Amino acid sequence: MIEVEGLTKTFSSSTKVVAGVSFSVNEGDIFSLLGPNGAGKTTTIRMLTTLVSITAGRALVGSYDVSKDPGSVRNLIGVVPQEVTLDNELKGMENLQLAAKLHHVPKAVADERARELLRLVDLSESMNNRASTYSGGMKRRLQLVTALIHEPRILFLDEPTVGLDIQTRTRIWDYIRQLNRERGLTIFMTTHYLEEADQLSDVVAIMDHGAIKVSGPPRELKDSLQGDVLTISVEDGGEDLAGFLRSIPNVSEVTRADHSYRLKLPRVESALPEIITEVALKGFRIAETSFSKPSLDQVFLEVTGRSMRDAEEGGGAHDGYASVHARETR
Amino acid sequence: MIAESLALGGRALTKWVRNPFAVVVTSIQALFWLALFGNSFNPANALASPSGSLGPLQQAFGGAPNYITFLTPGVIGLVALTGMSFMGVDLVFDRINGYLDILRAFPIPRTSIYFGGVIQNIAKGMVAAPITFALALVIPNGLRLGSGFGVLNLLGVFGIVALLTAVFATFFTGIAISVKSTDSFFAAINFLTFPFMFTSSAFFPLSFFPAWLKPVAQANPITLASDAMRLLILNSSLNASQVQALAGDVAGLAVIGAVFAALGITMAGNALKAR
Repeated sequence: MIEVEGLTKTFSSSTKVVAGVSFSVNEGDIFSLLGPNGAGKTTTIRMLTTLVSITAGRALVGSYDVSKDPGSVRNLIGVVPQEVTLDNELKGMENLQLAAKLHHVPKAVADERARELLRLVDLSESMNNRASTYSGGMKRRLQLVTALIHEPRILFLDEPTVGLDIQTRTRIWDYIRQLNRERGLTIFMTTHYLEEADQLSDVVAIMDHGAIKVSGPPRELKDSLQGDVLTISVEDGGEDLAGFLRSIPNVSEVTRADHSYRLKLPRVESALPEIITEVALKGFRIAETSFSKPSLDQVFLEVTGRSMRDAEEGGGAHDGYASVHARETR
Repeated sequence: MIAESLALGGRALTKWVRNPFAVVVTSIQALFWLALFGNSFNPANALASPSGSLGPLQQAFGGAPNYITFLTPGVIGLVALTGMSFMGVDLVFDRINGYLDILRAFPIPRTSIYFGGVIQNIAKGMVAAPITFALALVIPNGLRLGSGFGVLNLLGVFGIVALLTAVFATFFTGIAISVKSTDSFFAAINFLTFPFMFTSSAFFPLSFFPAWLKPVAQANPITLASDAMRLLILNSSLNASQVQALAGDVAGLAVIGAVFAALGITMAGNALKAR
């Protein structure tokens, strides 16, 4: 659905904001571009949505070349920008009707679709109120469906939940999932929330300093670290189990703290029964076990050499951060 | 193109109807010009003429019986100028809050964003002219229509107002769509409105102007429009040379409007281009 090859963007300052990225998005997938603010995510999405010119490389959206045939691309896509760009003085319904007119959707069709979309995001009751009376979350939901009135095949979301509280955020996630599952909508989104990328995406591409460092299904990315951690605590163990645990296949690292052992291994689910049996057979009673799988943050750390948090606080204060900040303080 | 322009223009008008503050302000502005400027700068004051008649100056003032009759078409022109210059601010706010940006991802011609702005501004501007006209008629020593002033004259006057409003709408919408901030917008319109205002025959006839300024004043759209309106207000039927003058004024306005529109389309295209 989207094919990108060597996509590059250089602004007048001559630094490459996006430095030759390549990826592809399959039809019906949710694809996330994950990275800290200033990584080049917004510039990438703006190139794909015809808003910013492409310096070098090629991007096909729904088989149309973005540079050569932006008009055809625009017919195919829905765009939800980072900032809320509704018309506050117009009613919820009127915002949808305006978007429909600009997409040449006949009025009768548009009105029916608008009602259905407003129902989908639970805005039916407030559709005749001006958008200025909406809460931040309601505006985001209205903005989301405004991009769907012409039934696009690909939906572009730039940081869809930035600045929202947890409840509102999960609600938006539900809508995104629903649109993807029920309508087969291909979704391309950018985010700097690890959890958002992890929970929603079929494929995540981690972007930093204008380049894609790694991409794949979140599960595969996390598994590729082979870094599951299992903690086993035993009751009054006199004997040191470390050596024994280390001998179990696939266990790469064992550290001991009193009666507690911390094991590092590739896939904890498959090894857990065996380890527990072995320990029990040794005559130890297990007091407690817990395990954790690597997060996308660890994947990020692995491929960029720093954590997302550091990246955000460090060199990440580019346009993305500034605009988010500006909106929140407005 | 037309459907999208109307959709965008309609959007702005819907909002404007809901918040009619601007209409009220525009009307008050017209009243200030007529009642305050019209009386304090009235040349009849210097003549100490008891009835407010322009006396020996009447000829120079195109045959107007009193100053406000001369001034009214000028004020209609000034209100069109200031109204059109400020009303483009909608587009500046659209740019600031990102609406203009996201509009570019819609499958619509870029020029429809520009013409959407032009259409809504003309529509808004056309409300002010009848109000100004009516105010001029009711104030003391106000507008005195020529004998035989009829529906055709009135339609002619508003036709010229529409043309002048379009001239300024095309010009200032081009500026509004191009500037990046409210600061530069207001700086630009302040800078641009005064020359239009003071090199026109809105306040005084061109015969009062020094020779070096006359050619500029003659090409000023406010001059063209006010002079044309004066012909229609003061005369019930026009003689051959008056018809010629009127046609010249209208043609001048049309040419300036076309040039401004071409300029505006270029500016808009440039401002909305993907960079």
